[in-house]
Amino acid sequence: MKAPPVSVSCHGLTLRFPVYGVDAKSLKKHLAKITVGGRLGSSHGVTEVTAISNLSMELKAGDRLGLIGHNGSGKTTLLRALSGAYEPDEGSVEVRGRIAPLLDLGLGIDPSASGYENIRLRGRIAGLTSKEVDERMDEIAAFTGLGPFLAMPVKTYSAGMQARLAFAAATSVEADVLLMDEWIAVGDAEFQKLAHKRLLKLVERAGILVLASHELDLLRLYCNKVMRMEGGVASPVTDIRKLDELMAA
Amino acid sequence: METATHMLRTGRRGPLFEFQMAARDLRASTGRLDLAWSLAWHDVTSRYRGSILGPFWITLSMGLMVLGIGVVYANLFGIALHDFLPLVALGIVFFGTISGTVTEGCDTFVHAAGMLSQTSLPMFTFVWRTIFRNIINLGHHLVIVVGVLIYYGYWRVANVPVAAIGLVFLVLNAGWISMLAGIASARFRDIPQIVQSVMQFAIFVTPVFWPVNRLGKHLFVLQMNPFFHMLEAVREPLMGGSVAPHTYLYLALMAAVGWGVTFAIFAQIRRRIVHYL
Repeated sequence: MKAPPVSVSCHGLTLRFPVYGVDAKSLKKHLAKITVGGRLGSSHGVTEVTAISNLSMELKAGDRLGLIGHNGSGKTTLLRALSGAYEPDEGSVEVRGRIAPLLDLGLGIDPSASGYENIRLRGRIAGLTSKEVDERMDEIAAFTGLGPFLAMPVKTYSAGMQARLAFAAATSVEADVLLMDEWIAVGDAEFQKLAHKRLLKLVERAGILVLASHELDLLRLYCNKVMRMEGGVASPVTDIRKLDELMAA
Repeated sequence: METATHMLRTGRRGPLFEFQMAARDLRASTGRLDLAWSLAWHDVTSRYRGSILGPFWITLSMGLMVLGIGVVYANLFGIALHDFLPLVALGIVFFGTISGTVTEGCDTFVHAAGMLSQTSLPMFTFVWRTIFRNIINLGHHLVIVVGVLIYYGYWRVANVPVAAIGLVFLVLNAGWISMLAGIASARFRDIPQIVQSVMQFAIFVTPVFWPVNRLGKHLFVLQMNPFFHMLEAVREPLMGGSVAPHTYLYLALMAAVGWGVTFAIFAQIRRRIVHYL
């Protein structure tokens, strides 16, 4: 069976965040505004922050895109838009292929449930069927190295053990488009090596990687393209070898 | 593998397009009903993890309430326990499903904030999750219903298929109210409190604890209470009575209008919901 082409494309992508203060969330304030007829002037519209403005890019299979930029420059927002969670205000995002957002490892982890249950839950959320989770269970369980602890509630785990579980469950998916906010490094030294290998394998299998990071060396290591974001404005996608020029610009 | 292999998100392209996108969300969610079902079961089991009776704890507390209110009120009203206790039992159980679905609806999107802000899971999946969770709870409470109906001999006259149709109407209507409450609660944090007050008020103005015929000439007021119709459609057939045709008309109309309005609102602000959270 021939795999369908994997691609990511954004055209004039613009994302604005309405800022709903605690005040704006109160119904009383909302009603009060109506009764005074907006005379205070500031009642029209919510304050909006433009997180990404007019971003266009094309990625195809084999592309490993690194995102750099200061805090609040729109990297994570872009990743969330690529994951399909955030809807563009203008323009479009189109992704062909199975998306695996590894943005928050703790997603869907229920501390009172056992390790096995959490693996199952996480797998289901990631789009696996019940049967597929069953098939992978042994492999995931073995990878966590948690053995009999998997039958115990996750809240009894140490932070490192929880990270192992979350990592193993989150990376058990097969993906064409991998989204990552910082390169994931979890657990003790020994586990970090294993985790690193597993992540690399996942990246190799995936057609496209989008990795946001502040570490230039890391980007040089894993990416072949780079895009710099500043205040929601993105530079053109450039070759990783021109990273220094991009940073100097 | 049932995963989205093509995702397209665009800016607004007019109201019609927003409706199409909302419909796409709905379709995607119905393709993954099993996920909503798993999440609902997970909710039920995790809430009662470690307890011996599990979800049957609510059943037990409901049973006690039925017994207490049934016995005391039967004496207050001077009605035979045989007539009154089943009425209260069915009333509490099925009204519990209505109010549970509606009040928990307030948390539908708020609790799903993590998943909604980093995956492309359909939003409707979480609406189904709330509804399924309450259906699972109802499944546990049916013990009370079956027990009472057998003990007081109503099983001979109970019309289960008609009651099942009534239950469909009940869930259909509780469903849109639940979703509407969910959308509103995401935007305005006062809504859960309001919904709770309204449901608390509703339990007293709906004939849950009292027989309808006690209202006398004020009965017409009751006809305007939507919860009355939702409850009657299920309770009457189980107690050997018949449901007035206008009750079905009322419920069908309410479901159609309610879902229509809810869906329209959802279509218009769907892309904003994730930012509210």
